[in-house]
Amino acid sequence: MSVNTCGATAGLSSSAAPYFQTSTSNRFPCAMSIVTQHAYAASVSAHKPRAALRRIEPDRGWPKLGLGELCEHAELLGFFVWRDIKVRYKQTVFGVAWAVLQPLATMIVFSVVFGRLAKLDSDGIPYPAFCLAGLLPWMLFASGLTQSANSLVGNVNLLNKVYFPRMLLPIANVAAGLVDLCVSLPLLFVVLVWCGVTPGWNLLLLPLPLALVVVTATGAGLWLAAANAQYRDIRFVLPFLVQLWMYGTPIVYSFNLIPKEWQAAVAINPLVSAVGLFRFAVLGVGAPGATAVVVSICSATALLVSGSWYFRATERSFIDTI
Amino acid sequence: MTDLALRIEGLGKRYRSLPGLRNTASLRDRLNEQVTGRWRRLTGRSPAEVLDRSATGFWALSDVSFDVQPGEALGVLGHNGSGKSTLLRILARVTNPTTGWVESQGRVRALLEVGTGFHHELSGRENVYLSGAILGMRRAEIRANFDEIVALSGVERFLDVPVKRYSSGMALRLAFAVAAHLESDILLLDEILAVGDAAFQRGCLEKIQQLQRQGRTILFVSHDVQALRALCPRAVVLEAGRLAYLGPTDQAIERYSRSSLAA
Repeated sequence: MSVNTCGATAGLSSSAAPYFQTSTSNRFPCAMSIVTQHAYAASVSAHKPRAALRRIEPDRGWPKLGLGELCEHAELLGFFVWRDIKVRYKQTVFGVAWAVLQPLATMIVFSVVFGRLAKLDSDGIPYPAFCLAGLLPWMLFASGLTQSANSLVGNVNLLNKVYFPRMLLPIANVAAGLVDLCVSLPLLFVVLVWCGVTPGWNLLLLPLPLALVVVTATGAGLWLAAANAQYRDIRFVLPFLVQLWMYGTPIVYSFNLIPKEWQAAVAINPLVSAVGLFRFAVLGVGAPGATAVVVSICSATALLVSGSWYFRATERSFIDTI
Repeated sequence: MTDLALRIEGLGKRYRSLPGLRNTASLRDRLNEQVTGRWRRLTGRSPAEVLDRSATGFWALSDVSFDVQPGEALGVLGHNGSGKSTLLRILARVTNPTTGWVESQGRVRALLEVGTGFHHELSGRENVYLSGAILGMRRAEIRANFDEIVALSGVERFLDVPVKRYSSGMALRLAFAVAAHLESDILLLDEILAVGDAAFQRGCLEKIQQLQRQGRTILFVSHDVQALRALCPRAVVLEAGRLAYLGPTDQAIERYSRSSLAA
């Protein structure tokens, strides 16, 4: 057994995967013989090693999405979601009721300010119901975005000590928002009944706006989480961004307030259609046009794809710069 | 000798700047390095070329090569800042190497700290599942080992108490008990004996020896010379990021203590 003194150049010039060329790497024989050797090893010792060959090397070239690896870690994703929800309401008096209290309080304030005082048009629906139907998808987005943007910075100790696909953290934070939504959804139906609005078959459309919100929040969350790891400026940008984004989305006002010729352009913000569709699903009014929905779906997808790409590309240096 | 657990070739790690030096590099330098470095990486010029040009930064590890046999327990010795932890962090895939490569065969699990993944607000029971999952165990695996983990930790009575109410010894024992049940072929251990009292250390050592007898490969970083002697027939000595010695543990320890006298 000797110290191998091949220099750094040997490592650099070696090709990506010489696993199956027994001539170039005779110490790592082809997959077949690894299996047989391990069968032998198993008969000698109680512990059975698995023949999984892995290579770690400097990153270069385009980042890989690694979707397969993400799927393998679905269970860990579940644990992260569970942890985030568990921890969020620890040592609070109202506990998970906060998921209801927050939209309720916001609804009351908005109803007074925008409904009573400003008398904004609400498509003929009582303002509290109209506003809450916009607030729920918005809060799903805003909390998902804020939490996932801070997910890497808030888990440095974890990132520093153990490997798992880093994307799980921002994704888990968005998913945890869905659980909050499930808790606050009954409030919406209580308010609907109280306002005398009966939802119809439109309710079946509900998954579409929710999917739009989740995709948008994940895409934007990946961008911000990765950027936040390098530039802590994001911490200051984030509250502004969320606030501006809210006024750029028809939450306190109706989608129909946007001039017809502008609707498709404004729908580049996917939440415009998401909130519109959500309202249409529960209230039966204010459906955004088909063009707007298509534009939104495209821009949400673009955001998710570019976000994943940026995340993957910067992931390599997260831990050294965070 | 056709089958290795770990093969490490020309491994190097450069940090762009030391935390303390961060502010001394001008914004222009940093931007310049960011932009040109990224551009070169995108255009596919070799990393060596890029590195030569941006020679700033600090090599925590350079040109380290060695092999580890399956079932071997290899000690890693070195002073603070010699690159031990960087080496283990690369092997654990926490950080990426700048040069060189590593090939590993089998499941690599790292214990770079006792208590990874623990959340102090959660109960002991919840933490067993959480940290187990984070360290790479399946839920079914954790469930199957749960009683054993609890028995090893000796905190049965406090399983449903938040970990923040535990004494540090209790938390350590529970964390180690979880980690000891990691299904791994190659186990990376970084200074885990440095925490905890003598009894804890003895318990750890026994458990590690048990894992070793099961034929697992172990990379063991420690300053504890006694433990290294007991556990590892061979050891590596790192000095200033370079491999200074690889051989029988006794000689490695001699080399290590000689350099500490010189330092």
